[in-house]
Amino acid sequence: MENTVNTLETLPSEKTSTRRSAVLLGGAALAGLALSRTAFAQSTTVTDADILNFALNLEYLEGQFYTLATTGMTLDQAGLSTKGGDGSAGGTVTVKANPKVTFTTPLLQQLANEIAMDEQNHVKFLQTALGTAAVAQPNIDLMTSFNTLAQAAGLGASFDPFASETNFLLGAFIFEDVGVTAYQGAAALITSKAYLDKAVGIHNVEAYHAAAIRTRIFQAGTAAQNISQAIAATRAKLDGTNTDDIGVGLNGGAATIVDNDANGMTYARTTSQVLSIVYGGGSGGGVFYPSGLNGTIK
Amino acid sequence: MRPTTLPARRIHVKSVQDLPISGLSRRRFLAGVGTGVGAAAAMTVVAGCGGKGKTTTPPNNSTITDADILTFALNLEYLEAEFYLRAVTGEGLSAADAGSGAGAVTGGTQVQFKTPAIQQYAQEIANDELAHVRFLRKALGSSAVSRPPIDLTNSFNTAASAAGIGAAFNPFADENSFLVGAFTFEDVGVTAYHGAASLLTVSSDLAAAAGILATEAYHAGTIRTLIAELGAPYLTYANQISALRATAGGGAETTLSGSTIVAADSNSISYDRTTDQVLHIVYLSAAAGVVSKGGFFPSGLNGKITATAS
Repeated sequence: MENTVNTLETLPSEKTSTRRSAVLLGGAALAGLALSRTAFAQSTTVTDADILNFALNLEYLEGQFYTLATTGMTLDQAGLSTKGGDGSAGGTVTVKANPKVTFTTPLLQQLANEIAMDEQNHVKFLQTALGTAAVAQPNIDLMTSFNTLAQAAGLGASFDPFASETNFLLGAFIFEDVGVTAYQGAAALITSKAYLDKAVGIHNVEAYHAAAIRTRIFQAGTAAQNISQAIAATRAKLDGTNTDDIGVGLNGGAATIVDNDANGMTYARTTSQVLSIVYGGGSGGGVFYPSGLNGTIK
Repeated sequence: MRPTTLPARRIHVKSVQDLPISGLSRRRFLAGVGTGVGAAAAMTVVAGCGGKGKTTTPPNNSTITDADILTFALNLEYLEAEFYLRAVTGEGLSAADAGSGAGAVTGGTQVQFKTPAIQQYAQEIANDELAHVRFLRKALGSSAVSRPPIDLTNSFNTAASAAGIGAAFNPFADENSFLVGAFTFEDVGVTAYHGAASLLTVSSDLAAAAGILATEAYHAGTIRTLIAELGAPYLTYANQISALRATAGGGAETTLSGSTIVAADSNSISYDRTTDQVLHIVYLSAAAGVVSKGGFFPSGLNGKITATAS
C-alpha cells in the first residue's frame, strides 16, 4: 500500500502505549472508570438542544472531512446546507486545493463513501431534530489543523490527510474515536429518552466507523499503527487523562482495534475534554474550529 | 458521484415486520416480560412516531429493574465469552467467572488460525467479552446469575439449516468460518444494548451499558470489515445469517457488502431490538409465539427476562 506518512523517528515515547499500560496508568479505580466519567463540569442549565448542537458541530467537521475526501466538494457544494435553523450562514472551510483522495483500493473507497453518507445523514438528522434551534456550521480548518496536530504528536511539521489512502485512514482515525467518546459522554447528559435512543444509535455508528478505520490501519502495518498510537497519546494528553486513548497495535497477543479500558468499555469524554482535543488545547477555539463551536457548549 | 445519492446503497432487511425504528418504548422493549402485552400491541404504541425522536410513553406497569436488564445482558455476554474464549484458547470461562451451579457448555473448540491478524482480533474480542462478564457480575454482585446452559454445536447447525447455508456449520472449523460465527453474535449485541440503553434508569448503569455497547459495535465493525474483504462464500453465509436474524428479530439488519459495513437505518442510526426480538434470535425461533428456550440457550436464559410474549 502506498505510504506517504511521515517518518517515525520523532515519535514520542507514548508510541508504545498499550491498553494494558494505559489502564495501569489510569489508577486504581478501574471498576469505576467508565462510571466516573459521568461527572460533568457543565452546569445543569445545559439542555438537550445544547448537547445535540454540540454533536452537530462535530458532525459538520466529520461530514466536511469525508465529503471532501471522497468527492472534493464541501457539504454545501454537495447539496447539504450548513446554514443554521434560523437561516444564519454557515462558516468557512479551509482545505487544500483538490482534496479528493486518490483511492486505489476499491473496498476502502467504498468504506469512505459509506462513512461520508453516514456523517451527512447525521448532520441532516440533527438539523431536522433541532429545527430552528440548529446551529450553523462554524468555521472549520482541515489544513493547518492537521499540521498543528502532527507537530504536537511529533509526526513532523505537516500532515496531509488527503495525500494517500494511508493518510486518509489516519486523518479519519483522528475523528472517529473522538466521536465515540463524545457521544458516550453526551448520552449521560441527555434527559429525553427518545433523544438518548438516537444519540446511542449515532454513538454505535461512530464505533462501527472507528472499528473499520482502525482495522484497516492495523492491516496497513506497523508504520501506520505507530502513528495512530502517537495520535492517541496526543488526544489523551489534550483531554487531560494522559491515558484514556489507545492507538492501533498489539497488546500481548491481542490486537487493539477497540479503543477501550480493562473492563472492555469504551471511554467517555466530557464536552470539555472533547473541546480540548478539537481545539488542540486552546480555549474558545483553535485547530479544527479556529473560531470555536457554535452554540452554548464551546 | 454526488454524496446525496449515496443513501440508496444501504439495503435494509425487514423480512417479517416493518417495525418503526424510532420511538422505542420501555413497553416495546419489554414486550416479552410479564405484562402479556404482545409485540403487535407494542408496535401500535409506537406506530406513527416517525423519525423525529418523538415517542409515546405507555403506562409503565412493569416491575423490570435495571438489574433485570443487566442480567439479560450478562446472559448474552456469557454466550459471547464462551464462543470467543473457546475459539481462541480451547477453554471457556473459569468456574469463578461462570458462577456457582453454572450450566454446561456444549461444543466449542480451538480454531486453528492461519492468519496471525485474525487470531489477534479474536484474542482481543475474547478479552473484551470476558471483561464484560466480569464487569456485569461485579456490578450485579450477589444477584448475578450464573451461566445458563449454552450450546455451540447444535445451535449453529440449526441456524445454518434455517438460513439455507446447509445442514451443518462449524464456526470452529477454520478462521473464516469463525468470522461467520462471530458475525452471528456481534450485531445482535449492538441492537440488544441499544434497545436497553434508554430503558436503564440509573445514570451509572447507562454509562456502563453505553461503554459496553460501543465496544460491541467496534467488534461488529471489525468482523463485518473482514467478511466483506473475504467475499464469497463467507459473505454469502453472513448475509444468510443476517436474513435469518431479520426474520426472527424484527428486521433491523443491513445486508453486508463492501459499501455497507455499518448496520444502521436510513438516518445512519444503528438499530435497536426488544428483548423479545433478541430472545427469538438466540433461541433460533423465528415463529411468533411464546418461546422460553432453544438454540444457543437450550434451557433458556437465567434471570427474569427469559421468555417471549409473542
